Amino acid sequence: MSTSNLAAQFQADFDPNSQEFSLAGVIRPHSADEIATSLSMLREAIDNVRGVLYINVKRLVQMNNTAFHAFARVLLDACRVRSDLRFVVVTSSVVGWTERMFGHLNRIEPQVTVEVYDSKFYPGQSFVENTSFIPILRTQTKMTWRHERTILPRHGMRPGMAMADICCGIGDFALLVRKEFQPGRIVALDHSRASLAYARDVAAGFGIADIEYTYGDASEMLLEDNQFDFVTCRHSLQIFNQPDVLLKELYRICKPGGRVYITNEKNSHCLGEPRSKSIQWTYNEVAKLFSHFEMDVELGPKSRRYLADAGFDDILVESFMVTNLDGDPQDFADVITAWENVYAGEMAVKRGDPPEFIERFRQGFRDHIFAALHPKGYAGWPIWAASGRKPL
Amino acid sequence: MNLAEKEPVEAAFEPLLQFEMEMGAFLSDWQHCDQVSSFMARMISHNRTDPVRHSNFFSSALNELLEVSFRGGSPDGQIGCAVYRQGAKERVKLTFPCPPGQRQFYREAVSKTRRGNAYARYLDAISTDLAPSRDVVLLELAINFDADIRLEESDPPSITLVVDLPLEGIVS
Repeated sequence: MSTSNLAAQFQADFDPNSQEFSLAGVIRPHSADEIATSLSMLREAIDNVRGVLYINVKRLVQMNNTAFHAFARVLLDACRVRSDLRFVVVTSSVVGWTERMFGHLNRIEPQVTVEVYDSKFYPGQSFVENTSFIPILRTQTKMTWRHERTILPRHGMRPGMAMADICCGIGDFALLVRKEFQPGRIVALDHSRASLAYARDVAAGFGIADIEYTYGDASEMLLEDNQFDFVTCRHSLQIFNQPDVLLKELYRICKPGGRVYITNEKNSHCLGEPRSKSIQWTYNEVAKLFSHFEMDVELGPKSRRYLADAGFDDILVESFMVTNLDGDPQDFADVITAWENVYAGEMAVKRGDPPEFIERFRQGFRDHIFAALHPKGYAGWPIWAASGRKPL
Repeated sequence: MNLAEKEPVEAAFEPLLQFEMEMGAFLSDWQHCDQVSSFMARMISHNRTDPVRHSNFFSSALNELLEVSFRGGSPDGQIGCAVYRQGAKERVKLTFPCPPGQRQFYREAVSKTRRGNAYARYLDAISTDLAPSRDVVLLELAINFDADIRLEESDPPSITLVVDLPLEGIVS
């Protein structure tokens, strides 16, 4: 038995500042002796904390019974001598067995509780995972696809590739890519069960069975390292409060030599004529509103920096403008109506904005629609597409 | 259960994947449990509703079974593992050579998974045992993976653990 292989498969860490002991990776030892160092680290952590110790197993991909019993033993022994201490095991809703396994400890010692890490931990996810948004997401993808179908090959998309679409939403982009580029494999991951159910339903309706839709947390994926030639993540870094963490995961699952492709907006640059001033004011406020909920919808032009900081090379960046002249102007107007409903009708209300602000905020969206539908009008929504290569 | 009663149930399961290996070679490296379970899980899960999460669950369960055979198997003969599917359920048939003295142990271990006090026994094991015994591992499969476990002894000196795993329902 090679213990060095085992050590390479998992990590144990203790952060005294957050009083958090974390386990990640695959822990399948033959005996508890092989994980003695990690068990000692947990014992020391227990000796050095007050009040509560968090046991973070969100990134624990596998743990055999030998390891579980050994770690459980340390926790249960500590409960018996440290009645002042609580243990909170933080599991992921993605890895269902961890919740079941660690949940038993609470039956033995009530000092040990289990919390399931879910979308509620992300500041703005409840807005973007709202199922009422689904029809408009389809329209948005239809509008951006007119541009992206020609952009993707410039960023390295080729037939036969193993591809992952992370934060796939309702899965329509994966369907379009499958039809246009015939990848050898497509995995499509999202954190919204409702969106995935919709995606599977649509795929089944089209008789498509080879897109692997999977429920997952983009910042802590079950997908293995170095698996995909092409990883896409569209309009998602900008609504995630830690885009660098997400990008690190995209980097991890991408093969060396493969590429990660991201698209993001700069909302304050949405534009329209006539009524440009009102439109501009509203979209400046959109950027501030998202910032309040820890989302950066101005991220588009920052893509180059984010990709470089994440370790990518051969970075390509380009921008395109979705406009009312792409197809049916009513599609553009429908998208703006949906934005108005969510941004002004829900997010601004949640932030506690006064009615007069919300009315002015709404007016900008209405003016954008006016521009889109005006026979001589022009309305635009700018998007930045960027990609980087994972070094060989 | 006699053969005539068993066959109709068996026929409903569709074979998916099978692997065989000399037991001596299997026992030469503990990592084989991890490697075989990960590979087989990935292969059989590709057309499940959520292939990635199904594979994770299935690998977890299969690894425990392979570890049971690693700890309790004897080096002469072959280990064989076959996976079948019926609807939302996978069936694992794990056959491995087992010393004669161990057969009664497996009979009792499998029997314990069906008893009313299975959960209490499992909690007691977590609470008091220094390391999980093989019978506790089977209990854990029944409790955490809703596994239905039985034993076939048709071809001594090997035994076959037959484990039905309704993971599709748990995952999705």
